[in-house]
Amino acid sequence: MMTQIVFYVFAAVLVLSATMVVCARNPVHSVLFLILAFFNAAGLFLIAGAEFLAMTLVIVYVGAVAVLFLFVVMMLDVRFAQMREGVQRYAPIGAAVGGVLLVELIMAFTHWRVAGNIGQITHLVPSSPTRTNTAALGDVLYTHYIFLFQTCALVLLVAMIGAIVLTLRDRPTGRRQNIDRQHDRIPQESLEMLQVPLGAGVAAQGGFLRPHDSYDVAAVPGTYGTEAWRAREAAEQTQTALVVITPAQGAKGQDDE
Amino acid sequence: MHPVITDYLPVLIFGCIAVVIAGAMLGSSLLFGHQKPYAEKTSAYECGFEAFDDARHRFDVRFYLVAILFIIFDLEVAFLFPWAMSLSRIGWFGFLSMMGFLGVLVVGFIYEWSKGALDWD
Amino acid sequence: MNWTLALPEIVLALSGLAILLAGVMQKRGQAFFSCAMMTLLAFVVTGVLVVISPDGTGYSHVFINDGFARFMKVLSLTGAALSLVLSVGYAREMEIDKFEFPVLILFSTLGAMIMASSGNLMTLFVGLELSSLSIYILCAFARDRVGAAEAGLKYFVLGSLASGILLYGISLAYGFAGTLEYAGLQQAVRGSAVLPAGLMVGIVFVLVGLCFKLSMVPFHMWTPDVYQGAPTSVTAYMAGAPKIAAFAVLLRVMAGPFGSMTPQWQLLIEVVSALSMVFGSLAAIPQGNIKRLMAYSSIGHMGYAMIGMAAGTAEGTRGTLVYLVTYLFMNVGAFAGIVAMRRNGRAVTRISDLAGLGRTDPGMALAMAIFMFSMAGAPPLAGFFGKLMVFYAAINAHLYALAAIGIVSSVIGAYYYIRIVKVMFFDTAVPALDRSPVSVSFVSVGMGLVTVFFVVGLGPVATAAQAAASALFR
Repeated sequence: MMTQIVFYVFAAVLVLSATMVVCARNPVHSVLFLILAFFNAAGLFLIAGAEFLAMTLVIVYVGAVAVLFLFVVMMLDVRFAQMREGVQRYAPIGAAVGGVLLVELIMAFTHWRVAGNIGQITHLVPSSPTRTNTAALGDVLYTHYIFLFQTCALVLLVAMIGAIVLTLRDRPTGRRQNIDRQHDRIPQESLEMLQVPLGAGVAAQGGFLRPHDSYDVAAVPGTYGTEAWRAREAAEQTQTALVVITPAQGAKGQDDE
Repeated sequence: MHPVITDYLPVLIFGCIAVVIAGAMLGSSLLFGHQKPYAEKTSAYECGFEAFDDARHRFDVRFYLVAILFIIFDLEVAFLFPWAMSLSRIGWFGFLSMMGFLGVLVVGFIYEWSKGALDWD
Repeated sequence: MNWTLALPEIVLALSGLAILLAGVMQKRGQAFFSCAMMTLLAFVVTGVLVVISPDGTGYSHVFINDGFARFMKVLSLTGAALSLVLSVGYAREMEIDKFEFPVLILFSTLGAMIMASSGNLMTLFVGLELSSLSIYILCAFARDRVGAAEAGLKYFVLGSLASGILLYGISLAYGFAGTLEYAGLQQAVRGSAVLPAGLMVGIVFVLVGLCFKLSMVPFHMWTPDVYQGAPTSVTAYMAGAPKIAAFAVLLRVMAGPFGSMTPQWQLLIEVVSALSMVFGSLAAIPQGNIKRLMAYSSIGHMGYAMIGMAAGTAEGTRGTLVYLVTYLFMNVGAFAGIVAMRRNGRAVTRISDLAGLGRTDPGMALAMAIFMFSMAGAPPLAGFFGKLMVFYAAINAHLYALAAIGIVSSVIGAYYYIRIVKVMFFDTAVPALDRSPVSVSFVSVGMGLVTVFFVVGLGPVATAAQAAASALFR
């Protein structure tokens, strides 16, 4: 009885929050509803006895995927009102596909039956009260399914390569640390002791001596202080200047279409 | 009742209490508070200026790279939990199996470090 | 546990890791060529290991090595190696000259090999994901081009949807049999008098997921855009190894676990095959871009190759395998021609850019003409024998309507292939294309020779395909 009540509460909140993911006007709210949906799905997994899946859902989906979604929502300058314009037009098609899937599901599960000879087929040992779900998974995942496990490592590796190849840009202005070089520096190389006469000030000595080469040597070789760098800096400055001017030209709140 | 639910009953009760308290706080302030919103009050406050633009700035794509690399290692950690629980049963073979898995990801880690994906600037 | 069974895969994976490390240790921007060469070497070594690898099942039945797996693996490796050779010549121009490129091709091929050896639906899925994930990245590899980014994104979104559908189908099959192993599934299907609707839905979902990867007709929408947007050598790769792997799992799953249900799924395969052939040949006609044209052409070719599968016999499977061999060679050859289409250092992809190639570059024009005639199915060339064998199998399996549709659509398809030949030899010349580098000419000439003299090697190829097919229908 208790189990049923908990199940229906979780299921109802799950369905509601999933609906809100699609319907919320503010995309950030959508992501927050998605997190709520993940939590409720984790609750449903727990009721089904799949403890490991529930915890993975919380760790991986709530902890990482939802954060990624937030970044993506904030990274892309998506005009959601514009995106929703098509909804009216495509709704019938979507509803039709959804309806077909629903009918298929109902067909599949109302006439559900397992194989007649299921007793003769070898199965892996399920979890038991003495062996929890997580431990039972661990018993087979690393030995029985070692081939698939190692292939999963390769899938993760490919994902890593992909993320870097597609998003990482070499930033020529980057002033990365060159730790060896920093350790090797001695005061004689970078400091100059001046005898400043009283009353004359530093200006008489030609002003402050900027350590003009220190950035060059500390940055990644060939990235700082080069001609290309200077050109980029200049271009950036003009661009920045333009950005400041832009709002004055157009009336506020108008789209430049 | 399923054994897992009895295990998690304290968590469930905790969650219920949290929801009730949070709901009570928000709900009572909504019910009993005085609310007289007008345009100036609800607009964004920016040091006396009119707001220059939307508060929601676009994020740099580099945040995304950090997040996705985090997800990958997070998944890897998820694989470690069952391993830790059944290490006594699966023995050396299971241990070395995980070492192979970690080895592949260490290669990935060396790769991303050398590429400078972990440097912000 | 028989470790040596997957030795080729293990060697390929380890060399992939080694190449990745070697690439990242080298100086920036200079590692591409050496990594590409190392990857080629790894492909060759793996190919040799595949040929000498023993039969059997290993790793608790998730991995099967048999004649069929070896045949498909060698084919995938060949396709991958040839498209890698194609990418070397114009790596800088295509903006793919990073050392990750060969590494991703390598991992994608590894995924294809794992798919070919799958003995468990989970192996199928993991292999498919490894293969597809690498291809999504490869499509968007030239990330500063809008077309490439669009191609990668489109393929990724639709591909993950297809993967989800496939996974759902797999879970329904698991719910029926309680196991994911092919042998167990086969036992479960054979031992049940009444098959539930849920299992049928599951099988259809698995079919849909794989048909998406093969770009069969109701699920082909992504193909033209992705083929056009992706760097040309990636397109050449996509049309080769991944499709062969998808066919490998489709043939294996449909002949093995679901083999006793042939009457139930046969009609579906027939419809998909017929639609692909007809659509592939009709939609290609108005195309002006040669990469889009090749996309529709590949949809059509997959339809022809599927005729053999629709037959549901060992003979049909042999036809499909021979068809895939011929398709691989003529397709890579045609893409060698497309990669070489450059004017003043810029890639051109319109068919009209080929005008007068017969006078400005007779060698390349002759090679392209050979590939086009072969794809159309003109008699002495490779494509003819592939078509002949699938049609023959279809007629023996009493699929007369399907064979008739195939013949009619190949006649229609011949129109647009021959139009390219006409443009090359009879249209007024436009400025000549650039000279192509040695690697591209090498692939073009090599594939041209293979296509022309395929009849010489037809015997051994057919024998190997026969052996592979009989390994499935034991």
